[in-house]
Amino acid sequence: MINWGKVWSDFFIFLALTSNVGFIFSHDPYQLVIAIGVNLLATVLKFGAKKILAAELLATALVADLHLIPATILYFMETHVPLAIGLAIGAAVANVISIIMLIIEVIFEYHKEEEI
Amino acid sequence: MTRKKKQKHYGNVRPKNYRAIYEEKFYNILFQLRYPLMTVIFFTTLGVLILMIINNKSDGESVLNYFFHTVITFSTVGYTEGYQTDPSHLMVNRFFATVFIIVAIPFVYMYGLVTTVNVFMNSNIDEIYRYWRMYKAMEKLKGHYIICRFNGITKELMKNLKRRGIKFVLIEPDASLEKEIREFGVEYYVIDEPHKRSVLLGVGIEQAKGVITAFEENTQDLSVIVTARLIRPDKDSFMVFATATTEGAAEKMKLLGANEVIVPDISVGRRMTSFVLHPPSPVLSGFLEKIAYGERTDIDIIEINVGENSDLVGKKLKEINMRQETGATVVAIIRADGKMKIAPSGETEIKKGDSLIILGHPKALRRAEEFFEHHKIEEVEAT
Repeated sequence: MINWGKVWSDFFIFLALTSNVGFIFSHDPYQLVIAIGVNLLATVLKFGAKKILAAELLATALVADLHLIPATILYFMETHVPLAIGLAIGAAVANVISIIMLIIEVIFEYHKEEEI
Repeated sequence: MTRKKKQKHYGNVRPKNYRAIYEEKFYNILFQLRYPLMTVIFFTTLGVLILMIINNKSDGESVLNYFFHTVITFSTVGYTEGYQTDPSHLMVNRFFATVFIIVAIPFVYMYGLVTTVNVFMNSNIDEIYRYWRMYKAMEKLKGHYIICRFNGITKELMKNLKRRGIKFVLIEPDASLEKEIREFGVEYYVIDEPHKRSVLLGVGIEQAKGVITAFEENTQDLSVIVTARLIRPDKDSFMVFATATTEGAAEKMKLLGANEVIVPDISVGRRMTSFVLHPPSPVLSGFLEKIAYGERTDIDIIEINVGENSDLVGKKLKEINMRQETGATVVAIIRADGKMKIAPSGETEIKKGDSLIILGHPKALRRAEEFFEHHKIEEVEAT
C-alpha cells in the first residue's frame, strides 16, 4: 500500500534539492525564488514529525534555509553573486544529507516491521 | 538478539522523563503550524514568481517590491503597488492582483495566518515553558527528599523543610489538587502515581536522600515503601519515612524497609497525655518540642555515637573541652545498655558505645560532629 502522506513530504524534500541544483547551474532569479520557497516548505513540513531521525532531518532543513536566505539577499543585492552561488551549493549539500537520512529511516522502518 | 547490558536488580525500567514530555508538547504545537505556514509560504512564493513573470523583471529591487506587494495583499493591509510599474504591464498586474486577492485571502489570511495566531493563543506556551523549566531544574537535584501525597501532614512537613532550605519533590496522584499545590508554593512536583518505578526514577530517587510517604491508606504507603526499597535497598544511605493508621501496619512497613513509621493517632494521643501530666508553662511550653520538630532554625539537637575506637573514651566531660572548642553542649548521655543520664556533670566519664545528645546552634553542631570524627581518626592511625 502506498503511503500518500510520505509521497507528499518526500516530494518536497526532493524538490528542494532539484530546484536548488537548478539554480546553481542556471543562476536564474526565478529558479532562486522557487528554490527558497520549496526549501521553506520542506522545513515546515518536517515540523512535528515523530520519526527516528526527526531532529536530524529538521536540522538539515534549517541549515539549507539559513544558506539560502543570505544567498537570496546577496543575489538580489547583486553584490557578492559568486558567494550567493556558493551558499546555494552549501544548501544543496544539506539537501543531499537530508535525502540520505530519509533513506536510512526507510531502512530502519523496514527492520522494525520485520521484528513485529 | 542478546542484551549485553546487565539488567538492574529492580528490573528493566526506564525513568520517566518529565522534561521530555513538555518538550514534546511544544513540538506538537509546531506540528499544528505545519499546514498554515505551508500555505503562507506557498502563496508568497507564487505571488512573487507570477509578478516577476508578468512584469518581466528580475532585478533585486523589483523582486523586493513584488515580495512587499504580495505580503501587503494577503495580509489585507493593501496599499496600491507602492512602486512604479511599467504602464504596459499595469493592467495585467492589476488583473493578477485581483485574482490573487480572491484566492489568497481565504487561504493565506483566513486559514494560514488566523490559524497560526490561534494555535499560539490556545496552546499555553508559557505554561509548557514553566513545566519544562521546573523539570529541567528537577533533573539537577541531589540529596533531596521525595514526598508522596499532598495533605495536611506533608504540607506541614514541606513548610518546615522549606524553612531549612532542604529541597524536595512532591508526587501527587490526584490531578485535581494541582492548583492548590501551586498556590502552596511547591517548587518541584509531578502529578503521577508514586508506586511506579519509572516515576520514582524520574524524580531522581537514585540521587535522593529519602522518601516520605503519608497516604491515608496503608496499602498505598506500603507500595511506595516497597518500590523505593527495591531501587535503593540500603537503609543507611536512603531513608524511608511513612505514616500508618494502625500499629500493626506500622510494624509491617518497618519490616518491609521503612526506617521510621509514625501512627498519627497514637502520636497525637501521646502528646495530649504529656499535656495532662505536665501542664504547659507559658515560657517553656513546647520549647523542647519546637527544637525536636525543627521549628527553630537557630538551635538544633543531634545524637552522636562516640564509637569504640575514640580517644575520648575514658575521659571526663570537663577534660575533652568540647564546649569551648565547638560551642555545643552535651545535654544527655545514653549508655550502651540504653540507660539515659540527663544533664551530666563535668565529672561524668565517657564510656565505650556511648551516645551523646548535643544541643546548640546548627553551626556548632557541625563543628561538634567534626570534633568527634577527628578524635576517631587519630585513634585509627595510632593502632
